[in-house]
Amino acid sequence: MTTMTTRRTQSMRRRERFWGLLFVTPIGLQVVLFCIVPIGIAVVAGFTNWNVIKGTYDFIGLDNFFEFLTDKYFWTAAGNTVFMLIPIPFYLFFGILFAIGSHRGTPGNQVFRILFFLPYISSVVALVVMWKWLFNYQYGLVNQLLAGIGIQGPDWLGDPAWIKTTIVIMIIWKMIGITSIYVLAALKNIPEVYYEAARLDGASPIRMFFQITLPMLSPAIFFLTIVGIIGSLQTFVEVQLFTSDGGRNYSAATITYYIWQKAFVSNELGLAFATAIFFALVILGVTLIQFRMSRRWVYEGE
Amino acid sequence: MARTNTAARRTGTTVSFLLMLAGGVTMVLPFLWMLSTSLKQSNLVFGPPEWIPDPVDWANYAEIWDAAPLATGLLNSAIVTVLVVVVGTFSSTMAAFAFAKLDFPHKRAIFVALLATIMIPLVVLILPQFLVYAQIGWLDTLLPLIVPGLLGNVTMIFFLRQYMLGIATELMEAAKIDGAGFFRIYWSIFLPLCKPAIAANVIIVFMATWNDYLGPLIFTSSPENSTVQLVIASLNSYYAEQTDFPLIMAASIVAVLPVVILFTITQKYFVESFAFTGIKG
Repeated sequence: MTTMTTRRTQSMRRRERFWGLLFVTPIGLQVVLFCIVPIGIAVVAGFTNWNVIKGTYDFIGLDNFFEFLTDKYFWTAAGNTVFMLIPIPFYLFFGILFAIGSHRGTPGNQVFRILFFLPYISSVVALVVMWKWLFNYQYGLVNQLLAGIGIQGPDWLGDPAWIKTTIVIMIIWKMIGITSIYVLAALKNIPEVYYEAARLDGASPIRMFFQITLPMLSPAIFFLTIVGIIGSLQTFVEVQLFTSDGGRNYSAATITYYIWQKAFVSNELGLAFATAIFFALVILGVTLIQFRMSRRWVYEGE
Repeated sequence: MARTNTAARRTGTTVSFLLMLAGGVTMVLPFLWMLSTSLKQSNLVFGPPEWIPDPVDWANYAEIWDAAPLATGLLNSAIVTVLVVVVGTFSSTMAAFAFAKLDFPHKRAIFVALLATIMIPLVVLILPQFLVYAQIGWLDTLLPLIVPGLLGNVTMIFFLRQYMLGIATELMEAAKIDGAGFFRIYWSIFLPLCKPAIAANVIIVFMATWNDYLGPLIFTSSPENSTVQLVIASLNSYYAEQTDFPLIMAASIVAVLPVVILFTITQKYFVESFAFTGIKG
């Protein structure tokens, strides 16, 4: 009897292993074929002077790395890439604000939720199309409205000093909705008893916000910051769609744009790969540092 | 005391409503302007802003089909999106179930490896992928946009795993005693229980696939393999020079409409399932 049970459990366990592995096979294949293999290729190719058209390559050591690190366009792109972090605090602020509004049952919040989501669910292509029209120097709605109150609006799309700001405004506008949904979900998970206890102690709403709400939201804010930074540093599509050549004086080009241009416009594949690897390491480093620092301000629960 | 509290609360609600209203208007005005522009005649958009077109002209919505291969684009996007959403959801939920409820060798290591892939910049993957696709003849076909998606989606797996962890394992043990196989446990117990979370994720994957511009930009080139986003982008760069804004706006609205409709129908699942899972980094 005991041996039979053991045998049954054993065969059960074997079947569980089999099905477990089978169920993760598709995603495992995806990671190997479309992630690990490409990374391998990228790492090797970064040390060559690969020419796709001629099909030739030689190993040239670290030359590619020296080349982009001494390229002034790379550093312009690096500066622009850092600029693309500006939207994060803005959409976090407005996202939290609207999540709180929605959470306290403001009338019409179901409708507002759909409205806030419209920019997020629309494709970047459609948004850029819309933005180019709204921010058109002569006929755009924005400059016409500004003119109405006596302000001469800038050349949002053409002026190298303004194009990045135009992109930043669009990203803030787009990201507020999804941010508020994440924050709203986290708000719903804060136990009501904390507020009841605080109210009994006579705490003011402002005090409760800073002592209860904000600390309890810190894991969500951390998550959104990490994902936000990884995403923002990779800004590319907006730049490509808004400027198609990186903007006058390379004013909007980001690092991903630089890499794309090296690979597909000027055919310097080895250089593109080297830059991409370097960039990946930077992102990894930034993410690790954030996890380190998070211990100081993220509430981890009892 | 009680009265001041109610009064304070009412003021709070009013302030909060006004803020939400201001936000909501900011979100929706650009879309209304887009719609309004799309209903104007091309030469009538350069005057002072006019919200209600006079006359309302639907002709742009008829013209866009000839101005660009929009129908082909919509069809290609539909093929890619439906395949990726249907098959990919199947692959993702299976993996999520295995990670949440089954025991198998190297489970933790495999899961951590999956999560690590989220941090890899897309550009590092997309360049070598391009070279591989060039070798195996996939360039300028829809395959690069479809095949990886069929195998699943890491974010969806992560999210659904969290969700399934919240479902009692006793259900599974009971089914095992009744002699149900693992596939049946997955299919007839866990899938139905995860419906709201799956619904929310389906929208996210649908959106991401339908709205994808980078993939089509890099992997496809000819008009007959263009997705709707590529069609709109090239329409934009072509007609913006001729400043035919109403035509471009009409085409963009057609491209955005499927996602907006789908989202409006299913939006209630969003907050529910996000809240259930909680967010942990």
